[in-house]
Amino acid sequence: MPNVPAIEFRQVEKIYPGSSAAAVTDLSLEVAEGETVALIGPSGCGKTTLLKMVNRLIEPTAGMIRVFGNDVRSSNPVELRRGIGYVIQQVGLLPHRTVAQNIGTVPELLGWDDRRVWARVDELFDLIQLDPELRDRYPSDLSGGQRQRVGVARALAADPPIMLMDEPFGAVDPIVRKALQQQFLEVQKRLGKTTVLVTHDIDEAITLADRVAILNLGGILEQFDPPMAILRDPANAFVMSFLGHDRGLKRLSLLPISSVKLVKGPAVSRSASIEEAREMMERWGVDWIALADGDVLHGWVPGEELDGASDLASLALRRFESWLTSDASLLDALDVVVSSRTSAAAVFDGDRYLGMLSAETIGREIVT
Amino acid sequence: MIQFLGDVLGYLLDPSNWTGARGLFSRIWEHTSISGLGVILAGLLSLPPAVLLAHRRRGEFLAVSAVNLGRALPSFGVVGVMFPITLSIAALTSPLGYWATLIALVLLAMPPMFVNAFTAVRDVDDSLIEAARGMGMSESRVLLGVEIPLGLPLIMAGVRTAAVGVVATATLGAVVGYGGLGRYIIDGFAQGNDVLIFVGGLLVALLALATEVGFGWLEKKVDPLRSRRIRPPRIPTLRDTGIRTHP
Ligand SMILES: Nc1ncnc2c1ncn2[C@@H]1O[C@H](COP(=O)(O)OP(=O)(O)OP(=O)(O)O)[C@@H](O)[C@H]1O
Ligand SMILES: [Mg+2]
Repeated sequence: MPNVPAIEFRQVEKIYPGSSAAAVTDLSLEVAEGETVALIGPSGCGKTTLLKMVNRLIEPTAGMIRVFGNDVRSSNPVELRRGIGYVIQQVGLLPHRTVAQNIGTVPELLGWDDRRVWARVDELFDLIQLDPELRDRYPSDLSGGQRQRVGVARALAADPPIMLMDEPFGAVDPIVRKALQQQFLEVQKRLGKTTVLVTHDIDEAITLADRVAILNLGGILEQFDPPMAILRDPANAFVMSFLGHDRGLKRLSLLPISSVKLVKGPAVSRSASIEEAREMMERWGVDWIALADGDVLHGWVPGEELDGASDLASLALRRFESWLTSDASLLDALDVVVSSRTSAAAVFDGDRYLGMLSAETIGREIVT
Repeated sequence: MIQFLGDVLGYLLDPSNWTGARGLFSRIWEHTSISGLGVILAGLLSLPPAVLLAHRRRGEFLAVSAVNLGRALPSFGVVGVMFPITLSIAALTSPLGYWATLIALVLLAMPPMFVNAFTAVRDVDDSLIEAARGMGMSESRVLLGVEIPLGLPLIMAGVRTAAVGVVATATLGAVVGYGGLGRYIIDGFAQGNDVLIFVGGLLVALLALATEVGFGWLEKKVDPLRSRRIRPPRIPTLRDTGIRTHP
């Protein structure tokens, strides 16, 4: 059976005892192997409930959940959980165990011998780039960001094929969060774990996930699509309001520079005459001129310095402060372009100069 | 007054008062042994059900009752109530006072132990238990590896309270015919000998104090979060040794 989904929710419903309203309502969703799915929605919409039903911390009241084709009810919950990495919302590191012991918990439960456990812990320290000196410290000695990384490392310890992560980067400041997200992407590129990630943050969902499931109160699935599709075609008003006003900007964050056409820009050859340079500046309506030959960008000079100069080669060139690599997103580009004096950014592929990206080019992408 | 204290000191310094079946050594042994046994039995009877019930989040009612029971029954009353009962049960056992005292002490020690152990386990942060379960710890592992270690200081505090109460109350054993340091007090009253009364009271107080201090020390010792704080950060990694350390 090749295309068995890693996780499958089929018409799942959860009504907590003593509660009249459903926490999850008739929800069906499949997560493919190796895929990262983000669950997002307002507080109390059943994200945590959904996650916990996969590893049977909570049992659904109706419907079925399959992991690699097997109904989870047919597995022993303790064994099932040892095969699924779980990062809880509150991190939940055991305060009486060292960082290393915390990370080694599941391997230890699986009965690995000590040597193998510690070797694995070393590997994970490496993977999440945690200072090895922290091994024998206790969770209370760690910063919030370090704790969350340890929480993720702990879930990864036994190399489970599936990871459930409940707001793994929740309780940290935006800068640390960005760094953790970046690291998640790098680790995920290497490991390719099937991941279900809960988040409150639509930007996080868009950056990290292959597909995003947007949930409404009562655990109703409103839309389940790749980020780009959600931003382009929100299924309904709820999704639209959830995405916010800056839907266009969010799209930019998903588009690489390579997806748009670069312009030659106000650039002339180094051997061009002063007249040619002035003409080019006028054509582009800018007060500066770049000197480029083929895929080499020499630099730029302000227009006023052309006055009285005999030829271009004699002028002192300025380096482009605003430059980008072709794999950066259009949102990064916008940031650079808007804050640069030249209102255009030079784009490079390694050392190779590719062309310029102007504010207009980016603007066209927001509108469409 | 000085005269009196001198007499007390004189009594304590006289080696002949320490030896023999009715000497201080033997009375102290009677006192501590029955106290120790009482605490151990009470622990065996109350701690396992307390931690198990708390682990299952059951038995709240029992814990509340235990608190009230502990408050409602003055220890002397327990001895008084228990003596006639145990008397009939243990009619054939000589010295009867021993059983009456022991049972009274066990009953006295159980409520604080039960309540503390129950609370200790119940109050362990839910998110830790969920993390533990979520990683695939069995229920017994959650209890033994997470709930009990984290609750240990509070559990030990209950044992300490119980033990101090037991040491103090064991004095009443003398009333029902058991030995122990209470004998000095009873005999002192009977003979109108204040020195004896004082010696008995003093030794009971010292014993109770020693119990308090000893268990207090133990309580700190077993605190999984405290012991690590005094521990200096260790730099050499486990990789070098392949040995696992425990906090
Ligand atoms: N153990 C429980 N007993 C009863 N109701 C519960 C329980 N756990 C959650 N609920 C309810 O079920 C609904 C969904 O809760 P859940 O924790 O899954 O939401 P969530 O999306 O994870 O929220 P948050 O973003 O705040 O973490 C909420 O209304 C919540 O009050
Ligand atoms: Mg939640």
